[in-house]
Amino acid sequence: MTALTDGAFLWYLNRATGLVSLLLMTATVVLGVAVQRQVRLPGLPRFGVVGLHRNVSLVSAVLLVVHVVSAVVDSYVSIGWLDTVVPFVSGYEPFWVGLGTLAVDLTALVVVTSLLRGRLPARVWRGVHWTSYALWPLAFLHGLGAGTDLGSGWVLAGALACAAAVAVASTVAATGRLRSRPPLERAPAALAAVSAGPSPAPFRNR
Amino acid sequence: MSAPPITRGLLGTGHPSLGAHLAAHGPLPTHGDPVLAAAGLTGRGGAGFPTARKLASVRDAARAARTPAVVVGNGGEGEPAAAKDATLLARSPHLVLDVLALAARAVGADTVVLAAGHHQLAGLDRALAERGDRGRVRLVGLADRFLAGEETALVAAVEGGPPLPRGKNPPVWQRGVQGRPTLVQNVETLARLALLARGESAAGHTLVTRHGHTVDVAEVPLGARLGDVLTVDAGVQAVLVGGYHGSWLPAHVAAGATLDRDGLAVHGAALGAGVLAALPADRCGLRESATVVGYLAAQSAGQCGPCLNGLPRIAAALDRLARPGPPPAGLLDDVARWSGLVVGRGACSHPDGSVRFVASALRVFAPELAAHAAGWCTASSSARPFLPVPAVTR
Repeated sequence: MTALTDGAFLWYLNRATGLVSLLLMTATVVLGVAVQRQVRLPGLPRFGVVGLHRNVSLVSAVLLVVHVVSAVVDSYVSIGWLDTVVPFVSGYEPFWVGLGTLAVDLTALVVVTSLLRGRLPARVWRGVHWTSYALWPLAFLHGLGAGTDLGSGWVLAGALACAAAVAVASTVAATGRLRSRPPLERAPAALAAVSAGPSPAPFRNR
Repeated sequence: MSAPPITRGLLGTGHPSLGAHLAAHGPLPTHGDPVLAAAGLTGRGGAGFPTARKLASVRDAARAARTPAVVVGNGGEGEPAAAKDATLLARSPHLVLDVLALAARAVGADTVVLAAGHHQLAGLDRALAERGDRGRVRLVGLADRFLAGEETALVAAVEGGPPLPRGKNPPVWQRGVQGRPTLVQNVETLARLALLARGESAAGHTLVTRHGHTVDVAEVPLGARLGDVLTVDAGVQAVLVGGYHGSWLPAHVAAGATLDRDGLAVHGAALGAGVLAALPADRCGLRESATVVGYLAAQSAGQCGPCLNGLPRIAAALDRLARPGPPPAGLLDDVARWSGLVVGRGACSHPDGSVRFVASALRVFAPELAAHAAGWCTASSSARPFLPVPAVTR
């Protein structure tokens, strides 16, 4: 038990889960845009892109739980259980930790509504899902301010790369680039593609 | 089994005017419950659903949801080989209009829509004006697409969007136009209800579009021998029953088939859109089928992957099989495999219906397949296609 509550271990665990969460949340946003824009990833069927988006986001949510718990359990900083849900009341870095709390609240909301997606009106789910675009910057600023790693060196370069990826993906989603062909034009195009080729491409069930 | 004789039927009004309509059929009785009148009547749009049950479902759904229902008369006859609904609307529009108001009252609807091809709206508008019903019935023009009459695509069109099918859940009778319980009823079904409400017998007959030496629309008794309704002589090699989502039957099988749900189901066929086409012996059944399947593939709404990706490949394969010469090895197996991959995987039944047509063609025209594989074709006529396929496929 001493090994688990040992200050150094918890600190490493907290930093590691925070950093990996940033990577996974970035991947989640980029994959989410890919799903919305109906982009095909090489080697993956379209439902595979949806599955990847879902699973990566769930893994990052689990890491987030570890990240939060390790911060609370670690007695080196005064972050209590209340701080995991109520923003800006922490004894340590209230503003920067508060941003993280906000991000956690939004994440919980997005995850819960997505798990209940089949039972919710599509409009409710979509409205909540749009808050993901606020969630990521909140978490990112939290990492810059409260974190001890993001500020310098190669980790900073990685963080900026993540920011760039999310910025590009958000722009694509917002401007409607990569818009797919309207449904009524797809069938004639598919027919033309098949009859133009010398032999039809293999139609695999994927 | 033989249906009772009809007095005038749906097409015997004489003239499409209100005067001729009233002279032929008399006024619609204002009393009486259409749900009771509809007993024994089945839908004539293709699915053959019992009309009374549909009326009751929409009425109950509207009551449960405490919202007025919507009634949509479906004159969307996307099937290129079918002309029965168009003929009915042109000859006896008032039979259909009679029942729209009656059905609206029966299900508790405050909105009544009649959807039909653009070219028919002028005639229908004239008929509405004669009755003073212009403000009560909204006319909606439908695009000339195969799926335009599909129930959910029709709802989308009535709402002003592109005619794209939606999922089967929730069903239209529960949540249709603007989320309200919606009665979508084929115009022939409505016209039959107009006669039933007057106490005339009408449930035992059906309109068919016959393709033989000529093309015509006729009202025939259900339960008749198909050979008595359509000329199936030695000059006919096969009969297409139902339409482009229907099935080919060999001529001798078709001639003896009973023209009703059970009698056709024995042979794996259904009355569908009411098309009966006798393919002359001098035509190539594979060529005819390949042309139709090419049309069906192009008419996919492009929303479901299996349909969008599968039908063009099946169409290309069929086009290859329709040409004399040995086909690539395994092409028939490919068609069978692709067919299995698309069935049951569309939001609407377009892939299922198309594959049913393909399977029946490959079954019935197996001798022709063998001839093509050996390098020749039995057809002697190379005139334009026997089965009509619109030139512009969009």
